[in-house]
Amino acid sequence: MDFRPVRECLAVRRQSALLILVGLLLSCGSPHPTQQPSASAAPPAVAYEAHVVAGDAPIPGGSLRNPHAGDPAVARSGALLFTAMNCDGCHQDQGVGWVGPNLGDGRWRYGGADAEVFNSIFYGRPRGMPAFGAALGAEGVWTLVTYLRSLPAPPDLPTESWQN
Amino acid sequence: MSRMAHIAALAWLAVVPVCATCAQAAGQSTNDAEGQWTMPSKDYAATRFSTLGQINRQNARALHPVWTFSTGVLGGHEGQPLVIGDTMYVVTPWPNVLYAFDLTREGYPLRWKYRPEVSSNAIGVACCDSVNRGAFYADGKIVYNLLDGHTVAVDAHTGREVWKVQIADLGNGETTTMAPLVVHDRVIVGAAGGEFGIYGWVKGLDLASGRTLWSARNLGPDEEMGIRADTFRPPYDRGASLGTESWGNESWRTGGAPVWGWMSYDPELDLIYYGTGNPSPYNAEQRPGDNKWSASVLARKPGDGTLVWAYQFTPHDSWDYDATGAMVLADLTVAGKPLKALVHFDKNGFAYTLDRATGRVVVAQPFAPLNWAQSIDLQSGRPVLNAARQTGVSLGNVKGICPSLEGGVSPASPPAYSPRTHLFYTSTSNMCMDYQVRHARHLKGTPFVGVISPYIAGPGGYLGSFLAWDAASGRKVWENKEQFPNWSGALVTAGDVVFYGTLDGWFKSADARTGEVLSKFKVGSGIVGNPITYRAPDGRQYVAVYAGLGGDWALLAGDTRSDDPSDVRAPAEPTTEIARHTSMGGIVWIFAL
Repeated sequence: MDFRPVRECLAVRRQSALLILVGLLLSCGSPHPTQQPSASAAPPAVAYEAHVVAGDAPIPGGSLRNPHAGDPAVARSGALLFTAMNCDGCHQDQGVGWVGPNLGDGRWRYGGADAEVFNSIFYGRPRGMPAFGAALGAEGVWTLVTYLRSLPAPPDLPTESWQN
Repeated sequence: MSRMAHIAALAWLAVVPVCATCAQAAGQSTNDAEGQWTMPSKDYAATRFSTLGQINRQNARALHPVWTFSTGVLGGHEGQPLVIGDTMYVVTPWPNVLYAFDLTREGYPLRWKYRPEVSSNAIGVACCDSVNRGAFYADGKIVYNLLDGHTVAVDAHTGREVWKVQIADLGNGETTTMAPLVVHDRVIVGAAGGEFGIYGWVKGLDLASGRTLWSARNLGPDEEMGIRADTFRPPYDRGASLGTESWGNESWRTGGAPVWGWMSYDPELDLIYYGTGNPSPYNAEQRPGDNKWSASVLARKPGDGTLVWAYQFTPHDSWDYDATGAMVLADLTVAGKPLKALVHFDKNGFAYTLDRATGRVVVAQPFAPLNWAQSIDLQSGRPVLNAARQTGVSLGNVKGICPSLEGGVSPASPPAYSPRTHLFYTSTSNMCMDYQVRHARHLKGTPFVGVISPYIAGPGGYLGSFLAWDAASGRKVWENKEQFPNWSGALVTAGDVVFYGTLDGWFKSADARTGEVLSKFKVGSGIVGNPITYRAPDGRQYVAVYAGLGGDWALLAGDTRSDDPSDVRAPAEPTTEIARHTSMGGIVWIFAL
């Protein structure tokens, strides 16, 4: 992966406030201006990780929608954000897995729906996944979700074979 | 020096030197010192040499497993058991359970187990798997670090917690994987976090209470590094403020220099020795200068932490060449003269023989394929660099650097030294790398790294080896090449047998003089731990080792993991075959004749 776009972006518009930096990154990476992220844009917390619901009674507040679902320009911004926020330090370049799990295999420890991935990033998860909600704002987290959902899962995922 | 440090130094003077047979003094043991294994590296000199000789080069072919125990934990089982009297102690990776096995009964049932409360967040803050490098026995207590920045002391007899103290800040990227060193009544500890931009340090705790008596940085202002004006004499550097002036842009504040390896101690010189890890971040252009004292060996007084000398193996490290590997103390004859030596196999591929009183380099030769430097200049102590293999953000993707950032040997894999053969024994890793860094931004609680570094096989058609090294002349004596990078520690005995494990799970014994493999057995998982030997209450000699693939291999060989259906990874070059031969595990193995 080429990091130069991030670097130039950072060099040109160096700022100290994290949210401003994130906002600039988003606008650097995307041809279209995006809405300014802010902590107040955060949705109500859905602090659960279970996917079995007792009595078929849905949990209130669980229906979040990704405003950028499938938008390739936002996914490209998300790729820049993925390195700028040091996500690659744990999940490796392009999210193929390092000390943190593979994010590009189409499988998800805490659920792979957009809202579930959003919650994992926004609120963090046990075993060391930091909460990025306050640092990124909802817009930044959705941008990352859009990027992660754009990663193509490799073929023959369940089977690893040695033929010789 | 703070008032507290003054008091600590005075108290130090009153302490009786540590006894060689403390186990008996504590009413613990009928075993003698040579039959036990009371500290991580066997002795203060970190030789991993045992005087036991029942198992020898004539009969070792008959070695076979006699007992196994699943720790119940999957993850890199680095480190080694302890044997005190008739009890064997095992510390697991996170969640850092401590088991005490009764060696007097058939099947070695547990006397007790200790399950500390330890934060699961430490798993994600530890750079490279949730490893633990072992415990230290002193004054009737088993002392070890929990991954989440705590040190505990547990009563060796009852399993009751004597004290538990916080020493490191998980929220700031610090985890604690190293084995403590206890000297007199000081517990010396440090923290990992070279991938999180920590401000590296060591501390001296009170063995009785766990209270911090002194704390000293490995970088930064002199007064924070334990430098007293007239006591610090590095062999090749002069002047004050080296720990700040060798870091452009005040980069020392997030400069790393962590402590996660091994420590040794010379009672005559009253010096502890330990290595520091990489400077942060990986883009060296963000930290102009030598970056002292990262990637270095430091010699301190254990009583109050005073820094006496320091030597930097890799100035301005641009390859993640941590120097946290063991510092083995041996009395050698070099060029006809006696030398009180410190021998160190560095990640950078050179094996160093230093004068341990002064830190001067006497011998430095490659023990593994390398190309980042031509040689080490003995006059200046500095590497003669290869201009084509330097890295930095302005240099783009630099190809074909040897060794890889896994090192010519992993610091997690300590060597052994036999005073009988006068040889050192070490695992090696033979991989090279491409190295492309970016400008890294320090964001507390997240990694401060910024590198893409795929590995390739090193030259010669093998990926690792186990070798014997003459540190007086700086030459290899024999070498057993292995299919995969070799990641276990070494053990050598008075039977002239050397023991090691392979990444694909073979536990081997070999003739210490020739390298001829005498026995091998395929254990349940790859070996990244360190074999030990002891005499059990039945009078027989045993050899114990952990099987449990992990450490860096939890990252590098994610396809060896089968317990998480939500994390499926492709095999990685150049060890694409490793998952064919082993998977994660966590088993204690014991071998006997």
